[in-house]
Amino acid sequence: MPEVILKNLPFLLAGLRLTAEIALLSIVGGTLLGLAIGVLRYMRVPIVAQCLDLYVLFMRGTPLLVVLFICYFALPALLGYKTSAYWAAVSGFILFIGAYLAEDVRSGLRSVPQGLVQAALATGLTRAKVLRLIVVPIALRNVIPNLFSQYVRLFKFTSVASVIGVNEFTGSAMLVNGREFAPITIIGFIALTYLVLCFAISAVGRVLHARLAVRS
Amino acid sequence: MPYQFDWTPIWANRDLIVDGFLMTIALSALALGLALVTGVIVGTAGASQRPALRGCAAAYVELMRNVPLLVHMYFWYIGLSFLRLPPFACAVAALTLYSGAYVAETVRAGLGAVARGQRLAALATGLTPRQALIYVVYPQTLRIITPSLASLFSQLIKDSSLASVITVAELTYEASAIEGQTFRTFEIYITISLLYLALVTLVTWGLLLVPGAREQPARGLSDA
Repeated sequence: MPEVILKNLPFLLAGLRLTAEIALLSIVGGTLLGLAIGVLRYMRVPIVAQCLDLYVLFMRGTPLLVVLFICYFALPALLGYKTSAYWAAVSGFILFIGAYLAEDVRSGLRSVPQGLVQAALATGLTRAKVLRLIVVPIALRNVIPNLFSQYVRLFKFTSVASVIGVNEFTGSAMLVNGREFAPITIIGFIALTYLVLCFAISAVGRVLHARLAVRS
Repeated sequence: MPYQFDWTPIWANRDLIVDGFLMTIALSALALGLALVTGVIVGTAGASQRPALRGCAAAYVELMRNVPLLVHMYFWYIGLSFLRLPPFACAVAALTLYSGAYVAETVRAGLGAVARGQRLAALATGLTPRQALIYVVYPQTLRIITPSLASLFSQLIKDSSLASVITVAELTYEASAIEGQTFRTFEIYITISLLYLALVTLVTWGLLLVPGAREQPARGLSDA
């Protein structure tokens, strides 16, 4: 490994840890949000579903950077609260990726055969139980590849948090570059690290899908 | 203290917003065209019979799309700073290489989804392999992948906002500048969000005008 990297490794690793933390929080939060939105839209609850449609439309039409600016500058100004760059970034990622995950969840829910739902209802299960025990698990298992491609996307997107001043992996690498000025080495190093980690996330998705997918 | 809405500074700065919007359109359009060319070449290589070509295409795709776009931007702007490329060129290069990989995957999957018999029939009528590709296989591929292309193009337009980080004066950059002067934080970011949304919606609708795009569900195509 080049000396510039070795010398700054502890600092860079601290940045990487922050990246992992942000990614993990956002993946968990985003998945819960996406699940909630997806189910509510699937059930077509009047008014709520329309509001959520609008939310998803807006989020999917807005760049992530603008969403982060809204979470860091605009919402606190509008609602009069204080936030840190870290939590602004995490909430921005959750709101952003949640909208995309909601679409995947919904398409998964729709792909569950109606006959299965009717059969479950015929056995006397309540609607809520059918949803919780049958429809949602099957849907989620089948959209694992889509979910994981969003997770990879989110993992790459965490780099954008550096723009609002979170010194995660990319941010700390650029700080190191400011001190050392070895841009090719440093950018090459972080690019390679992202590459390996994205591969790892995709691999986990593939293994899970192979094990859990519901074959019909 | 409730927030006082004041849209007048936004209207007063409309020239900057329009400039930024036009720059976003120029940047996206150029990168989109180049990404399409890259994607068709790499995607076709990825669907070829030769393992070496397939390997190169796969290497390109994995290398490009598993690195954050922001890192791509920094690579061209800071990593290759000795070349003194203008920021606009850096942004176009980064967006093209990054999005080109996604387009390549879509094209490759689309080519695989066109029935094999189509190509064989075209060859049997006496078309050369090149002609069969251009006149028979590509048009059908385009119909199949149009929905995926629409979502890739809207992603590219949104991704172009990252060019603001390397000082390209596009919509997000101008918005930050206006925000810094007027402090109308909420108004300006909502305004540009809606502009992005409008642009993305327009491009998506535009692609649905591709003949046959609406009838043909993209079966067996994952959202690459």
